[in-house]
Amino acid sequence: MYPEDVRYTETHEWIGEEDGLYVVGLTEYAQEQLGDVTYVELPEVGRHVRQKEPVALVESVKAAEDMYAPVTGVIVEVNEALEGEPELINFDPYGRGWCFKMDDIDLAQFKRLMTREAYEKYLKSL
Amino acid sequence: MNYKVTPLYEECKKLGGRFIEFGGWYLPLQFEGIVVEHSHVRQKVGIFDCSHMSEFVVEGKEGISKFSSYSCEDFLSLPVGKCRYTALVDTQGVIVDDIVGFKLDEQTLFIVGNASMREKTANLICGLDVGGEDISDELVKIDIQGPKSRDVLLSLGFDFVKDMKFWTGKECFWGKRIMIVTRAGYTGELGYEFYLSQDMGIEIWRMLTANPLVKPCGLGARDTLRTEMGFPLSGQDIMPGMTPLNASMDRFINWNHQFYGKDIILKQKEDNTYPRLMSIRTYTRQAPRHGQRLLSDGVQKGIVTSGTFGPSVGTGVGIGYLESEVAFPGTQLQVEGKDLRVEVCETPIYKNGTARVKFS
Repeated sequence: MYPEDVRYTETHEWIGEEDGLYVVGLTEYAQEQLGDVTYVELPEVGRHVRQKEPVALVESVKAAEDMYAPVTGVIVEVNEALEGEPELINFDPYGRGWCFKMDDIDLAQFKRLMTREAYEKYLKSL
Repeated sequence: MNYKVTPLYEECKKLGGRFIEFGGWYLPLQFEGIVVEHSHVRQKVGIFDCSHMSEFVVEGKEGISKFSSYSCEDFLSLPVGKCRYTALVDTQGVIVDDIVGFKLDEQTLFIVGNASMREKTANLICGLDVGGEDISDELVKIDIQGPKSRDVLLSLGFDFVKDMKFWTGKECFWGKRIMIVTRAGYTGELGYEFYLSQDMGIEIWRMLTANPLVKPCGLGARDTLRTEMGFPLSGQDIMPGMTPLNASMDRFINWNHQFYGKDIILKQKEDNTYPRLMSIRTYTRQAPRHGQRLLSDGVQKGIVTSGTFGPSVGTGVGIGYLESEVAFPGTQLQVEGKDLRVEVCETPIYKNGTARVKFS
């Protein structure tokens, strides 16, 4: 349910390293809470973002939620497949439902994010 | 937490319902998922626990006549068995609630209203003037909706649905037990509403949920289905102070009938500059949202009263309360503070509903 090799935020984003870039998506918990995702507004490629800055909008049938940058860095790629198939966030939140990729990130911030164990503990406290 | 639950609460919990608060009630928002449930109603059959809604009975011609003076429809002269959707109004012509009513016989009027307006409606109907009775607590209401609803009900032995025409209601026997049935709904699809004693309610709910063509559905799907049809929700789209014209209920006003506030409403109609509810849609999957302001050339011309993604139309859909000069199909409006445009459109937005289908 929650992969070991990525880090987690309190606002339910995950971020993991892949081929030198950092991939960001929403967690299983987030997609569960949102329900059927119907629309995703992704950030502009090239945008410099600060940690905890709202960067994307995720809408479901019942809600519209901001998605936050898990760390400071640059958006270098977005998942264009979500435009036609936003439900990928529900079906495959850690795979084909990824949202954007970051580069030049603040590694110190990254290391301070929650591990899987810490995130699972955090979820229990909610 | 001090919410009311319906007699089907335990049943809905067993089926995996996820609950939310709605109008003082704790009701299932969804079971399997809003979009799955929505599509199932459009294609097969979905059932809804609507026991939170309110039901009233008015007995005797005098009572029915008095009740009708608060309603934009004349229920006294309406033939037995025919349902009418209309507005209940106060002495100023302001909507108290939108209701469905029909006569079980010449002397007995059955009225269905909304959960959120129950107290106000009860004050009016059960007041000395009309002398009606609030029977909401006695009844379980199950809505059976979808193009296969008739087939499923016939297969389960509810033979009385066979000849029912759209927008009719009657008392029916199931074995030796009596129930009230209408062919009506809030989804745009062929459907029936069962008004049942609590025992029968649980028994029939179980029979229905055991059927492979049927899925239990929650308020989420009810909301997306009704929004695609442009059906307003009392207390949300129909807001305090609105007249039936503000609520775009022109079609449901019987102008040959005398009712409270008719003069005020007639004047409003002649003037024709009143704001009104209209269906709206977006051009993408992005949804308009309740409370957003709608602008034309930077000036506010309305507000979104309902908004969601419409699974059957593939775009955002909603209802807006709009100034008269922008309240016609084709007008484009901007959502304040967003890169999102909406178009005012014809109601219903979803045009392939099966509600009116005829059976020979």
